[in-house]
Parts: sequence; C-alpha cells; structure tokens
Amino acid sequence: MNERGRSRWYAPGSMTQVQATIGHRAFDLRTADVERTLRDVLPEPLHDHYVVINRRRFPPKQVVSLITGLDRADFNTHQARQVLRRLGFIVSRRTAPLDPADAKAGPGARASEADALRPFVGQWVAQRGSEVLVAAKRPQDVLAWLERHNQQADAMFRVPVDETDASGMAPG
Amino acid sequence: MRFAFKELPGATADYRRPVLPVTVEGLPRAPQLCLLDTGTLHNRFGAWVAEAAGIDLAGGHRERIAVGGFTSEARQVSVQLTVADHTWEAPVWFCDPWPLSFHLLGQEGFFRWFDVRIRAARYALDVVPAQ
Repeated sequence: MNERGRSRWYAPGSMTQVQATIGHRAFDLRTADVERTLRDVLPEPLHDHYVVINRRRFPPKQVVSLITGLDRADFNTHQARQVLRRLGFIVSRRTAPLDPADAKAGPGARASEADALRPFVGQWVAQRGSEVLVAAKRPQDVLAWLERHNQQADAMFRVPVDETDASGMAPG
Repeated sequence: MRFAFKELPGATADYRRPVLPVTVEGLPRAPQLCLLDTGTLHNRFGAWVAEAAGIDLAGGHRERIAVGGFTSEARQVSVQLTVADHTWEAPVWFCDPWPLSFHLLGQEGFFRWFDVRIRAARYALDVVPAQ
C-alpha cells in the first residue's frame, strides 16, 4: 500500500489492486494487503455503513484509515466505501436492529439470531439485541473493546461450537 | 421478568437454550450469559470473570471440581449478581480452566433466590425474585 505521486482515481477493473487518491494523496492498494492488515484488528462500533473483510464487518473509515495511515478527517465515508468496493469488498448499509426474540415462536420460526451468530462459532461475542457488537478469540479482548468504545452489551458469551458445548459439557 | 431462550446456530439445525444475562459486580458493560442448570448445586463461572471484574479470589475456599467432562480448580467467593433490575449476593465458584460457552447458575446461588418457571414449550423463562 504505497503512496503515489499522482492525484487521480485509477480506472476500475482490477479486483485485487487499485490506485486511488484519498485526502489528496495517491495510494496503491491491494486486496490481500487490506485483508492481512485487518486480520488481527477488532472492528469498531458500526454506524450506518460497513465493509465485510475476513468475514467481519468494519466501519469503512476505520479500514481506510488503517490501510493508508490517513487521519479520518481527511476523507469521508463515501470515499472510503468507493475505494473498498473497487478493491472487491462488499460494502453495505445496516438495516434496523431486530426486535428481541418473540418467545412464542419455535426454532426455525426466527432464524435471524442464530444466523447472526453463525459466523462467530467458537468466538466470544458481545451482543446488543441480536446484533453482534464485537467478536474475539479471548473474552478479555471483548471486554477491552466495550470499555474502549464506551459500549454497553446485553449479553456476552462464547458462541458454542456444538450442542454439547451449549449444554454445560466441555467441547470435545 | 421474562426471557426468551437463546437461539444458537447448530451444525444441522438451530436450537435454543435457557440462559440468562447476569451482570457481575465490576463488569456492568457485559452481562454474562449463564445457563440455568437445575442439576447443579452452585453457581460456576469462568475465573477470567473474577480477574476482569477485580474480584479477589485469594481468600476464597478452594477445591478441585469435576464439571461436564473436565476438572477445574474452583474458588468460592460471594459476589453481587444482577438480573434485569434485581440484585442479590450469592456464592460463586470461579473455575479455571473453564472451557464452556456459558457460566452455570445452580440451586444455592440462583434458584433459591427466585421463583423460576421454565416454559420450555414456549422457549421462555419467567423469573421472579422470591419473597
């Protein structure tokens, strides 16, 4: 991810390497570099927009700031979304959070909470409603994230690896 | 207080478990999800909770226990626990290691403090503080 000497948007076409000007500075950006940079980074709280990298949702400005070293005041969300989309990542907007579970329904009637947790099997998560605020390998990292970002969770737990794990038995 | 069972992702089918979010003193931002275990006598929590909450285990009664297919070293101290807006003080056994996804709520640390109705057919829990 090198800064370049020119100031223009590169014609789209490559999914793995993009030349982009952000905050009046030019960069060569590669999908693999972005994924590597974000591998051990916990996503910050999401607002309206997000980008999916390594199966996790990040605020676009967090990602662009990390991969360019730019201050977040130097670019806007639209610019961040645009460059990340050109790199081939899925960028999207959040929908309204789901209501708490309606206990009258049986399994399968409301698959959304399980679906929301499915990508995080084996990880510690903090949830608010059915939304996963943060997921990490260690519970200490989840707690630190909540403190750092002044966030309040409704519940914290590790998403069970299997039904045995969810029944008070040690996972095999 | 009514709580829905927690819906969790399964390998072949999703499933629901009777759990409660319990706030441990010192960890107000992250209520810990606890499995209601009518077969256990004591509350069992992972020891990392005590460490994170600044709960001193040094003076706690110590024993080696077997839970759910593993053995663990447990220390017992009394801590304040909160469900929704109700707080009670109960003995908790903090266990290390603790490979389970949830902590466990048992008879002496939870059930004797509440009237609990497990409405399994409706995937719901009704929990009322005991009078």
